[in-house]
Amino acid sequence: MTVAEDLGGDAPAETGAVARIPSASARTAPELKMTARSCDVFYGDNHAIKNVDVDILDNTVTAFIGPSGCGKSTFLRCLNRMNDTIDICRVTGELTLDGEDIYDAKVDPVQLRARVGMVFQKPNPFPKSIYDNVAYGPRIHGLVRNKADLDDVVEQSLRRASLWGEVSDRLDQPGTGLSGGQQQRLCIARAIATAPEVLLMDEPCSALDPIATARVEELIHELRENYSIVIVTHSMQQAARVSQKTAFFHLGHLVEYDDTTKIFTNPHDKRTQDYITGRIG
Amino acid sequence: MGPHIVSAFDSDLQLLNRKIAEMGGLAEEQLSSALKAIAQRDVELAAEVVKGDKKLDEMEMEIEEAAIRTLALRQPVATDLRDTVAALKVASTLERIGDLSKSIARVADILSQHRPLLVVAPVVRMGRQVLGQLSEVLDAYTSRDTPLAVSVWRRDVEVDVTYNSLFREILTYMMEDPRTIGVCSQLMFVAKNLERIGDHSTFIAEMTYYIVEGEQLGDDRPKGDPIDADIAVDMPD
Repeated sequence: MTVAEDLGGDAPAETGAVARIPSASARTAPELKMTARSCDVFYGDNHAIKNVDVDILDNTVTAFIGPSGCGKSTFLRCLNRMNDTIDICRVTGELTLDGEDIYDAKVDPVQLRARVGMVFQKPNPFPKSIYDNVAYGPRIHGLVRNKADLDDVVEQSLRRASLWGEVSDRLDQPGTGLSGGQQQRLCIARAIATAPEVLLMDEPCSALDPIATARVEELIHELRENYSIVIVTHSMQQAARVSQKTAFFHLGHLVEYDDTTKIFTNPHDKRTQDYITGRIG
Repeated sequence: MGPHIVSAFDSDLQLLNRKIAEMGGLAEEQLSSALKAIAQRDVELAAEVVKGDKKLDEMEMEIEEAAIRTLALRQPVATDLRDTVAALKVASTLERIGDLSKSIARVADILSQHRPLLVVAPVVRMGRQVLGQLSEVLDAYTSRDTPLAVSVWRRDVEVDVTYNSLFREILTYMMEDPRTIGVCSQLMFVAKNLERIGDHSTFIAEMTYYIVEGEQLGDDRPKGDPIDADIAVDMPD
């Protein structure tokens, strides 16, 4: 018996955030989800991102690779306006989500971040219970109407993050008490609880052991059914394993963007070739 | 292209290429000796070729091990990956060329028990043509010379033409003197084996192209006509 039936009321389709996730069967040719055109980013006088054009496809994992300081994380943070919090940061050019300019004055960055979720390099659970970590987003965005709906969202998000089995009997324990890999999956559960359309992941596995990494990669693979995922990673093998599209950044430029298979078998640009094969450029 | 940051990776790839070069040289030598053995009806030389084939088998295994180790430990991508995979495939191609050379050398035994035949000369001539193709394609592979590889690849059609005319020549020889049928059919196998070595050489050309360009050379290689089915009709009653 589902929670909704238990309450004797709501039809399942209206149970809130999770039900809004589009079905996987919609996957034919991936559609354009986000675009960047002539995007430049400045930190004060420092020109960090130079004239980047890129398309982020729906139901696709896009990997951003490149050496440290090449601007891949900076660019990732433009996609949900995380750079707004940095005073000296200035973003120009056009960035759209479903064709709408995300830097338009009418757009509320908080609402935008509910649609474009983010997972960071270091697991950063709130100093709250496991339950509250996941429930936080749906609560502040008013995505659920009652406790039963919220329970449902929390359970489903934890299940999708393949953490439910490990924490279902201790949801009231602090999230910070979990292992590193579990914390990162908790953060992923928290990010998907608001049913975002795009999930940005900034080196989500760099602090994890190989088994936890494999779990997260498997999760990324499953999440692709419903989301558009952008992942920044220093592990080229990881980019090759999880993504369908790869973008190579170098010194603030987007050097090459192509199918992942193409990038890793026969890249077009010599700089890409040197980077992925581990050569001195 | 610059060196790898991890220099041991460069050493691994260099080792693979050096071994391929060495194995290629040995395969050329085997074919050359096999041809000499049948031209001069030299049974001892033929026995050496048969013995020498073991060395090629060993080298193939060494290259296979080295390539698999590189794949497992270095996870090569792009040009490094193509280099490593091509080394694997070329090594097994060279091993097969060795086997064919061994079969050719064995015919020297049969030839030595027979009076000298005029038709051996054109077979050896075809062998020299094939040996030339093999040497050139190995040079192309070692120096990653795509134009040379493509030129060898295109010229395989000439080997096919030689094979077809040689086939007719041997057949005529047999018809003229049925006592030579046994030995001539062995020569036909030699011609067929040489034609196969020609095909293997074009495969090495394809691998050279693949390493450099990252794409397959394609399937539209010019090929000689198949041997006519009407040959049987010409047989005397």
